[in-house]
Amino acid sequence: MAEILGAEVDEEGYLLKVSDWTPEIANAMSEEDGIELSPEHWEVINFLQEYYKEYEFAPAVRVLTKAIAKKLGNDKGNSRYLYSLFPYGPAKQGCRFAGLPKPTGCV
Amino acid sequence: MSLISIFFTFFFYISVLIFIIGVSYKLVQYWNTPAPLKIPITPASLNTSGVILRYFREIFLFSSLYKSNKWTWLFGWCFHLALVLLFFRHLPYFWPGEVPLILYKTEVLKYSSYLLFFGLVGLLSRRFFVDRVKYISSPSDYLMLLVLIFITSTGMLMTFGNNHPNMLLVTNFASGLITFNWSELPKEMIFMAHIFPVFCLIAIFPISKLLHAPGIFFSPTFNQVDNARKKRHVSDWALNKQEGSKIDIENNNDKKE
Amino acid sequence: MTNDNPIKLPTYLEVPAIKKDAMAGNGPFKASEEVQQGLGFPGEKVDNWQQVAIDKMAETKSKYRSVQVFLDACVKCGACTDKCHYYLGTADPKNMPVARQDLFRSVYRRHFTFAGKYFPILVGAKDLDENMLDDWYNYFHQCSQCRRCAVYCPYGIDTAEISMAAREVMNVIGAGQKYPNQILGKVNKIGNNLGMPEPALRDTLEDLEDEIKDDTGVNVKLPLDVKDAEVLMVTPSADFFAEPHIDGLIGYAKVFHESGVSWTLSSYASEAANFGMFIGNYDVMRQGALRIRKAAIDLNVRRVIVGECGHAWRVAYSFWNTLTGIGSGGSDDYSLRLQRQLDSNYPQPQHMIEFTYDLIQKNKLSFDKSKNDHRVVTFHDSCNVARGSNMGDIKNGQFILPREVIKAACNHFVEMPKNTIKSSTFCCGGGGGLLTDDLIELRVKGAKPRMHALKKTEQENGVNTLAAICAICKSQFSKVLPNYDFDPYMIVSVHQLVSEAIVLSESSDTEV
Repeated sequence: MAEILGAEVDEEGYLLKVSDWTPEIANAMSEEDGIELSPEHWEVINFLQEYYKEYEFAPAVRVLTKAIAKKLGNDKGNSRYLYSLFPYGPAKQGCRFAGLPKPTGCV
Repeated sequence: MSLISIFFTFFFYISVLIFIIGVSYKLVQYWNTPAPLKIPITPASLNTSGVILRYFREIFLFSSLYKSNKWTWLFGWCFHLALVLLFFRHLPYFWPGEVPLILYKTEVLKYSSYLLFFGLVGLLSRRFFVDRVKYISSPSDYLMLLVLIFITSTGMLMTFGNNHPNMLLVTNFASGLITFNWSELPKEMIFMAHIFPVFCLIAIFPISKLLHAPGIFFSPTFNQVDNARKKRHVSDWALNKQEGSKIDIENNNDKKE
Repeated sequence: MTNDNPIKLPTYLEVPAIKKDAMAGNGPFKASEEVQQGLGFPGEKVDNWQQVAIDKMAETKSKYRSVQVFLDACVKCGACTDKCHYYLGTADPKNMPVARQDLFRSVYRRHFTFAGKYFPILVGAKDLDENMLDDWYNYFHQCSQCRRCAVYCPYGIDTAEISMAAREVMNVIGAGQKYPNQILGKVNKIGNNLGMPEPALRDTLEDLEDEIKDDTGVNVKLPLDVKDAEVLMVTPSADFFAEPHIDGLIGYAKVFHESGVSWTLSSYASEAANFGMFIGNYDVMRQGALRIRKAAIDLNVRRVIVGECGHAWRVAYSFWNTLTGIGSGGSDDYSLRLQRQLDSNYPQPQHMIEFTYDLIQKNKLSFDKSKNDHRVVTFHDSCNVARGSNMGDIKNGQFILPREVIKAACNHFVEMPKNTIKSSTFCCGGGGGLLTDDLIELRVKGAKPRMHALKKTEQENGVNTLAAICAICKSQFSKVLPNYDFDPYMIVSVHQLVSEAIVLSESSDTEV
C-alpha cells in the first residue's frame, strides 16, 4: 500500500483513515498535483472537514459553493471558481486534500 | 452399384443425419434456455405483429445490415437471394416421381449463379481488403467462402460449359436419395467435386457459424415484444428464485428459507 | 477547467485503421478483498480459477438464451466493426464489438464446441489462460454496454450481454472491478451509490428548498420519507450531490409543485442507478430493485417515478416488473399487493419525463420560454434509454418525449447529425461502469464520436447547450467537454431547462 508522509493511501491517493490527516499531508498532496494551497483552498478544505465531521459525508457541490459564497463572497461562490482552485474537481480533489474518502457514484 | 456411388449415397445420409440431429439439439438447447429479462433492442415493437414485421424486414431485406454497411449488405443479400433461387433450380433433380411443369420453369434461375458468385467474391474480398474484417476473420471464415465459391464455380462450369453430366443420371441419383431408390451417380469428376463440399456443409451446419440461420429466430433482442411494464416477464429460474424465498408481506421482507 | 491542448476534430467522422494494442493495459483498479466479499464474491483470484470460470460460463449460457445464441450466431460479417465509440476513438481492434465478443467466444469455442475442441486454429478457439484473462479484464472494461453495435447486427447480437456475462465470470473467480463493486456495497448498506447518509441527504434537500425560495420566492418542497405521498421519486444520487445534476432535481421539485401531486424521496432507497446490471449479476441487481419495492410499500405511495438516469430507466422500465413485480400482469403475492397499492391509471414505474410531458400535454404547466433564449439546445440520447427502454408507450416515445419537454421550455432546439442520435446515438463514453478516474484516457477517447457530432452542430447551428437525461452522461460530459474545446457548463439536465423556464404559481406559496 502506498503512503504519504507515513499515512496509508489507496491506489487513487485518498487517505485510508480520515484520522491520519495533517495539514502537512494536504500540502504534500497538493504539491504532487502542482498546486500551491492558498487561503481560499484552506477555506474549502476546512469547510469540507467541518461538514464531514457532522454528517460523515462530503457536502454536495451546491452546499459547498454556498458555504464558500458566505465566507469568501458571492463572486467566489460558484462552481467555476471552485474548479479554478481544484482543477480535478472540488469534490474529488478537495476531498483528497482534506483527507476525506472519495465521493463515488455517477459523479 | 459402384463403390463411389455407395460412398456418396452413404455420405449424403450421414450428413443429413448429422444435420438433423445437430440442428435439433441446438433448437432444443435454444428453446430450453430461458431469457430471464426483457432485452429487446428498442425502439422495438409494442405488440406481436410488430415482431413478425421486424423479422420480415430482417430476414427478407437484411434491414439492420443495410443500415450498417451498404457493401456488406449488397454482397450478403445477393448471396442469400441467389442461394434461395438456386435451391429452386435444384429442386427438379430431387423431385420424387413426375416433376411438375412449373419446376421446369426454374431452368432460368441458373443465371442467379452469377449473383451468387458476385456476392461470394465480394464477401471474400472484404475479408482480404478491409483491415477490420481481416482482423476478425478466422481460417474457417475464409474456408467457408472458398468452399462456397468452389461449389458455385463447379456448378457454373457444368451449366454453362459443355460438360454437363447426363441429366437423367443426375435426376435418378438425386431423387433416388429422397425415395431410397438408389442409383448410380454420374461419374464426371466435376459433378462429384460439386456435391462433395455441399454434403460437407450440410454436415458441419450444426457445429459452425451456419447456426446463424436458426439462431436469429431465438435472438431475444429481436423476438421480444417491448411491453415490460404491461406484462410480467418471468423465466423459470428467475421465478424459482422468488418462490424459494418465503414472502412476508406484512414486514415487507423476503425471508430466505 | 480549461484544456491547453484540446483534441482537434476532423470535419467528418473517420473510421480509423486498426492499431493493435492501442489500448492494451491492465484495466481499471481491481476491487479489494473486502469489497468483493461484501457482494458474495471471492476476495481474490481463486486457485482453480480456470475451472471455476469455465463452470460459470457453462452456467451463464444455460441461464441466458442471449449468451448462448449470440455465441453461436455470429458470422463475423464485420457490420459492427465501425460502430463502437471506443473503437472509433481508440482504433484498438479489440474494441470492435465482434472482436470484444470473440475474447469470450473463442474460449466458448475451445471448451464447449466440437470444432473448437478438435480444430482450434481453424475456428479461432483459444484457451482461457492468464493472457486471455488479462485481455478480458482490460477489454470488457472498455465496453459501456451501450448496445449501439446491436442495432447494426443482422442477428441482433448485443455485445452488452456478452460483456455482462464476462464480468460476472470475472467476479465469480475473484477479479472484480473496484468502481462498480465498491458502489454496490454502499448502495446495499446505505441506500445510494454515494454512500450519503440520511442526515446529509436531509440537510442537502433543505438547503435546496432555501435556494429555490431565495430564487423564486416560492416554497417548493423536496420531501423525504413522507408516508402516504402520492409519488415515490427514485432518482440517481448524483442528483443530490453533483453539478449539473442538482439543477435537474430542482426541476423535478418545481414540476411536482406545479402539478399539485404530493411526492417524496426515500432515504432507504435513495438511488435509482443499479450497477448490478453492469456487472451482469441478477441477484445483486434484484437486491437493488427490492430496496425500491420496500420503500414503495413502506411509504405506501400510489406511484413510482424514476429520475434522469439512463441505465436506471432501463432497469426500471424493462426489468423491475420481472425483478420486483412493480408493473402489471404479475400474479405472485408481491405483484398482487403492488397492483392493489399502486394506481393502475398510470404505467408503473414512470419516468419523470413522462410525468412532465403528461402535464405539458394537459396544459397544466406554463413556461416562460424566453428564459432559455440564450440557449441553443441539442439533446443527447442516452444509450440505455434509447436502445433499452420506451417512454409513453408509443413507438419511439423515448425519443419523442424528452424532445417535446425541451421544446416546451426552450425556443431554440436543434438536432445533431442523424446517424448520431436516437437509436444510433453515441455513448457519452462513460457508461456501463466506466465512469471512473482510472479509465479517464478511455473516457476521453470514447467521447470522440459524440464530441464530433456536437462540434458539427456547434459550427452549423451555434449550439451552446447539451441536454441529457442520464447522471453518467452529465458527469462524463462535464469532465471531457474541455478536452474537445467546449465549455464544460454546456451540459445540463432536461429538467434544468424545465426549471429555468417554468412559471411557478403564487397560490401554492402556502406552507404545506
